[in-house]
Amino acid sequence: MISLRNFSYRYPSQERFALQELNLEIKAGQFCGVVGANGAGKSTLCYALSGFAPHFFRGEVQGQGLIGKLDIAKSSLGELAGEVGLVFQNAFNQISGARFTVRGEIAFGLENLGIARRQIQARVDDVLDALNLTDLASRSPYELSGGQQQRVAIASILAMRPKVLVLDEPVSQLDPHGTEEIFKIIEMISQSGETTVVLVEHKLEWLAAYADRVLVLDQGRVVMDGPARSVLASADMMKLGIGRTQYSQVAEIARKQGLVSDAGLLPVTLKQARALFR
Amino acid sequence: MRGNLLYLDKESGLHKLHPLTKLAFTLFLLVCAAALADLIWLLAAFVFLLVPLAWWGRVISPVLRSGLAVITPFVISLSLIQGFFTGGETELFSVGSFVFTLEGWLAGLTVAARILVALSGALLLTLSTRPDALMHALTQRGLPNGLAYIVLSSIQIFPRFQDRAQLILQAQQARGLETQTHFVRRLGLLVPLTGPLILSSIVDVEERAMALEARAFSRAGRKTSLLVLRDSLGQRLVRLALLTVGLGLVAMRVWYLLQ
Repeated sequence: MISLRNFSYRYPSQERFALQELNLEIKAGQFCGVVGANGAGKSTLCYALSGFAPHFFRGEVQGQGLIGKLDIAKSSLGELAGEVGLVFQNAFNQISGARFTVRGEIAFGLENLGIARRQIQARVDDVLDALNLTDLASRSPYELSGGQQQRVAIASILAMRPKVLVLDEPVSQLDPHGTEEIFKIIEMISQSGETTVVLVEHKLEWLAAYADRVLVLDQGRVVMDGPARSVLASADMMKLGIGRTQYSQVAEIARKQGLVSDAGLLPVTLKQARALFR
Repeated sequence: MRGNLLYLDKESGLHKLHPLTKLAFTLFLLVCAAALADLIWLLAAFVFLLVPLAWWGRVISPVLRSGLAVITPFVISLSLIQGFFTGGETELFSVGSFVFTLEGWLAGLTVAARILVALSGALLLTLSTRPDALMHALTQRGLPNGLAYIVLSSIQIFPRFQDRAQLILQAQQARGLETQTHFVRRLGLLVPLTGPLILSSIVDVEERAMALEARAFSRAGRKTSLLVLRDSLGQRLVRLALLTVGLGLVAMRVWYLLQ
């Protein structure tokens, strides 16, 4: 679904390439987590996958990036918007302001895509239902809590039925309750198998629980790539300034103190930790 | 619905009219306010045009209430100024060497009546028409989407802007900025208060533009709409009639002024 070949991107007026010679294949329906220290290029990767780099920020692209059959550098943002949906941190800024109700806000993208009215209604009803927003449908999107707004933002993108959903730290401004709501929804989207999900996230426990695969970025390069557990439990995660899940941390202490004898991969989820300590 | 809008969500014939028809009514009333020459005609426009429409739209009480609230100070001040300083034949009373004339008083009331008709004409539209419906109607007639977006988003985002200004004010107070002070010092406060407001808003603009792009806002080609506006032959005729009579009034007024 996503295919990057020797893909590099440089922001205008910067010398260093923010993404450097990425080679990446992400299959349709896969849930791919992305981690990395600050400035590693995580957001830039999100922008590149959704076409904002280079079409919005300008700058220079080298190599090739494909989303399905669309060449990122050669397609317009309008074309890409139907294929790739981008959700970012600030929920408030993602509310378009062009519509006065949650229902209208979700329909806005579909209207821009020129979809027939009946289909708009059906799709909006579908996502309202799936994201548990039906009760809020006639409220103003500006009168909602942060978590609800982020749900509306995701719903607005989902209604456009993108084949790829890119989320750039979607819960960083939410409280634990809002965070859980959003992750439940991402899990549901991913499990439907129809959407390829790329999620940039600092909360490693969540990635460990849901992602099929985790990429680690460092200075614009992919330095690790593999199944969630083998990447997240790796000792390199500390060196790269990313840290590890609380389960790995506890297990490592326990191992040092001789409380557990297992020498395999550290646990990264609650389930794995429980199995280790039993 | 939604706190900061003037729009009142009611079931009425006026609410169901096509937004352009209501816009035509309002423009016609604005023309009346500017073009009608006499107080009696202005009051007739108010009583026989505006009041029935507002009553039909079930917005009569807010129209009258805001109309009165705005117009009362105008009636008083305009009556006094025009009464004393616009000359005339008929003396009503005098204060020292200042003479209050009937003609002057009527001239003052005429200006106040113009304001009343124009203001309540505009209120009629805003109280009974959803802004998004109006903008949709206008974009169907060729208004650029970008312009409609600016109008709609400003209506919604402006109150959030005020919230943010309040937040910045509190943050600066917490850092020891003295805000309860005399006038000249207060002017100096504009920099620490508006600076962060403007800068943070500029940062937001980029993200907001991206959010719009993510929703295919710039996509070329036809757009559709969830909102359906119902028009009718009758309403088209009414709009045509209002346009014709309105232009007639303007022509009459211009003719009169040239004489």
